[in-house]
Amino acid sequence: MADYSCLIVEDSPMMRQLLVFAMARVRNLSVTEADDGVDALRKLAAARFDLIVTDINMPIMDGLKLIRRVRTDPGHKDTPIIVITTEGAQEDRQRALQLGANAYITKPIQAPQVIAKVKELLKMT
Amino acid sequence: MTERKSRPPKSRSDLPPQDLHKERDVFIQTFFKKGAQLTEELLKENERLRRRMEGLEDENAALRAQVKSDNAIRELLHKIEALETEKTRLLSRFHEVEAQSHEYQATFAEFEAELSNLASLYVASTQLHSTMSVRGVVRQVRELLAQLLGARAFAIYLVSDDGAALLPISHEGVRLDDVKPVAVGDGAIGGAFTSGTSSIEEADLTACGLDKPAACVPLRLEDRVIGVVAIFSTFEQKTRFVPVDYELFKLLAGHAAAAMVSARLFADGGGKIPGIDAFRNLGV
Repeated sequence: MADYSCLIVEDSPMMRQLLVFAMARVRNLSVTEADDGVDALRKLAAARFDLIVTDINMPIMDGLKLIRRVRTDPGHKDTPIIVITTEGAQEDRQRALQLGANAYITKPIQAPQVIAKVKELLKMT
Repeated sequence: MTERKSRPPKSRSDLPPQDLHKERDVFIQTFFKKGAQLTEELLKENERLRRRMEGLEDENAALRAQVKSDNAIRELLHKIEALETEKTRLLSRFHEVEAQSHEYQATFAEFEAELSNLASLYVASTQLHSTMSVRGVVRQVRELLAQLLGARAFAIYLVSDDGAALLPISHEGVRLDDVKPVAVGDGAIGGAFTSGTSSIEEADLTACGLDKPAACVPLRLEDRVIGVVAIFSTFEQKTRFVPVDYELFKLLAGHAAAAMVSARLFADGGGKIPGIDAFRNLGV
């Protein structure tokens, strides 16, 4: 059984699969996938996660709304959040950090960069 | 009680002469005096020698201690020398191991990067063929361009039925008015279609735009070209294409057209899967 759990919230199957591949390189980390913010909230209500990696632009509920909801959830208010953004979304990035995101990664993502950020936030040696 | 016989008094002739007697006394006196002097001198000499011997013994003890201390120092020096040699050996080994560790780290980082690249290619390939709807395939091509290649503005062109022009079927990051049909053989886009080879900007991508695309990739279906993908600009942080991007371009060129045409034919066939006879007697 894995020591850490991560929730990936991404509407693009391609990005999601890429993130899952990257996370598979981190030992003792189990991964759960969600298509959007609503799906993520459903999964957050059912289980405890040590880390959330979310895209900003998603249908139904975007990443910013999700961060706001997560930060008011007593069970996950301190859970580290990594935001995946595009280069043009400077405002979104700032907004995400203001709302309580802990870090951001810019697309196109590089697996080693994602792994390093995940390990840093989970305080893995 | 014995009676003492009294001797007869000596005659004057038996007695030594008066001066001889005196001389004898003087001699005896001198003799004893000299004897006393000699004894005194001998005693003094003895004392001096005794002191000298004590001094020499002290000197000897000091010298012994000195030699002993010198030996200890020599031993310590040998030990220090041996330790210095050991330290040098260990330092050299440490540097060796450190260099090796750096090498391993670099190799590990290379493996990680290579794995990441392979994952990108695998994901692109599987996602491209994960759908049998034309919209789905085009969506996947767009995803590949934006998410994996960092394309901000791009267009997908397919050749017209008469084969004279390339018509945009999908675009992103550019206005529809800016994405006009391109005559076959015209410019970078038309040229990529005619030659069937990709034209990819190897230098800085920040200067690229509609007039100077960053990449024009022909969409190949076996030995035929059916369209072109043009990337006009990339995200700010994507200033240069990296080796894995060239592999993604190859994948795009070889798989996108097949996926699109298959999806189209599948849709045209009403989503019907051909019967088993269609796959039998293939001779392979």
